[in-house]
Amino acid sequence: MANIEERMKEFFAGFLDMEPAEIASQANLRDDLEMDSTEIVELVVALEKEFNIQLKDGEITNRNCVSDVVKTVGDKLG
Amino acid sequence: MRQVAVTGVGIVAPPGVGKEEFWQNIKEGKSFVSPITRFDASAYPSQVAGQVKDLDSSHLSRRLLKKMDRFSVMALVATEQTLKDAGIDLVKEDPYSVGVFLGNTLGGWLYAETELRDLYQEGRNGVSPYNASAWFAAAPQGHISIYYGIKGYSKTVVADRAGALMAIGYAVRVIRNKKAAIALAGGTEAPVTPYALLCCSTEGSLSQGPYRPFDKERNGFVIGEGAAIVTLEDMESARSRGATVYGVITGFGTSCDGTHRIMPDQDGRGLARAIKTTLDSAGYQPGDIDYICADGAATELGDVSETRAIKEVFGSYALEVPVSAPKSMSGHLLGASGAVDLVGTLLAMQEGVILPTINYRTEDPECDLDCVPNKSRPKEVNRALIISRGRGGINAVLAIERS
Repeated sequence: MANIEERMKEFFAGFLDMEPAEIASQANLRDDLEMDSTEIVELVVALEKEFNIQLKDGEITNRNCVSDVVKTVGDKLG
Repeated sequence: MRQVAVTGVGIVAPPGVGKEEFWQNIKEGKSFVSPITRFDASAYPSQVAGQVKDLDSSHLSRRLLKKMDRFSVMALVATEQTLKDAGIDLVKEDPYSVGVFLGNTLGGWLYAETELRDLYQEGRNGVSPYNASAWFAAAPQGHISIYYGIKGYSKTVVADRAGALMAIGYAVRVIRNKKAAIALAGGTEAPVTPYALLCCSTEGSLSQGPYRPFDKERNGFVIGEGAAIVTLEDMESARSRGATVYGVITGFGTSCDGTHRIMPDQDGRGLARAIKTTLDSAGYQPGDIDYICADGAATELGDVSETRAIKEVFGSYALEVPVSAPKSMSGHLLGASGAVDLVGTLLAMQEGVILPTINYRTEDPECDLDCVPNKSRPKEVNRALIISRGRGGINAVLAIERS
């Protein structure tokens, strides 16, 4: 999971045009990273491509924290 | 009645990005129409356009840029310029007293076309979710208001090639009616895309060669891309804060021909009514006007009907007053064109110059106005009219005065 977390922070940093160090595990996608619903749609499609997984509607929302996304993706990867 | 002052200009156009470069180039009467390089236009009848090169949008984040079409990016760059030029920091202003008023004709086709291609090639997952908010005509207004936190009365005007002038006229009324203290007004257009060029081509108004308004050999206009946005505010508040005033907007008029879905009324009666309304609203007599910045569509009927309209209103003075079409240098920026003409005319007034109609070779007895052929002319201009016309017989006219 630690590797996924690091990889996820790199991923978020690239996605949001930020530095990996600026992406805190507890950062809320909506309140801290200021992601709106269309960015979540783009995020889901990008995560599916990056990690070769399938995400259902509502599995990731902008109420999640980065750590929630790490867990959701980590669970998919087994 | 409140006087509405122009206190800042922002310009992104083929002759230049920023007022200094733009002015330096247009006053020299150069052409900024060139072969289209953004895509292969070899199969199109018209393969030239006015294209904006070296657009610096580095103040915008990549995260924002990927959500916008080029017409929004150009509008944001022009907005940054006009605010800096006006010396206005919107953080210090009441956001509810600031409005955005923009004209646009086509929407964001560069973005939309790319996503449509991906839709058909990759399916729905290939389409950017930002397409929904990137392509439509009011997107630039939205992006500007979000970027600067503007919350006041605002509007996007879609009135074909008269859009920008309509938006500016609307903004003037809003300032006069005290619904806003500051208005950012103008237009933006990004038509240099495969589909947009195709639509403009099939309409039948595009030139295959030089853009020659009022010339006997004219064969249509050439498209151009860009954005022009001015800062408008009440003259008293502009003076009290010591702002530079480029000029005052003194009148506005609009009319519909009601004759054809594309062509203007051949006698220019609708345009004549719009000119008269504008003169009346400004309190001018025809002889007060020193210069007319024409629509100059360079279509057979467009230029003849515009000439007839000016003659109907100005009588014998029509042959004395200079009437030029500076857009012959940049291409026709469609829904942004009126704003580009306003910026060009204001800068020309400051310098005591009249901008030319370039590519002019052959006189047309039916278009026998003084179109200031090929070279700028020194002349003091105190009062001017700007004309924009759109398909379907839309006419808009703005009156301005040197401050």
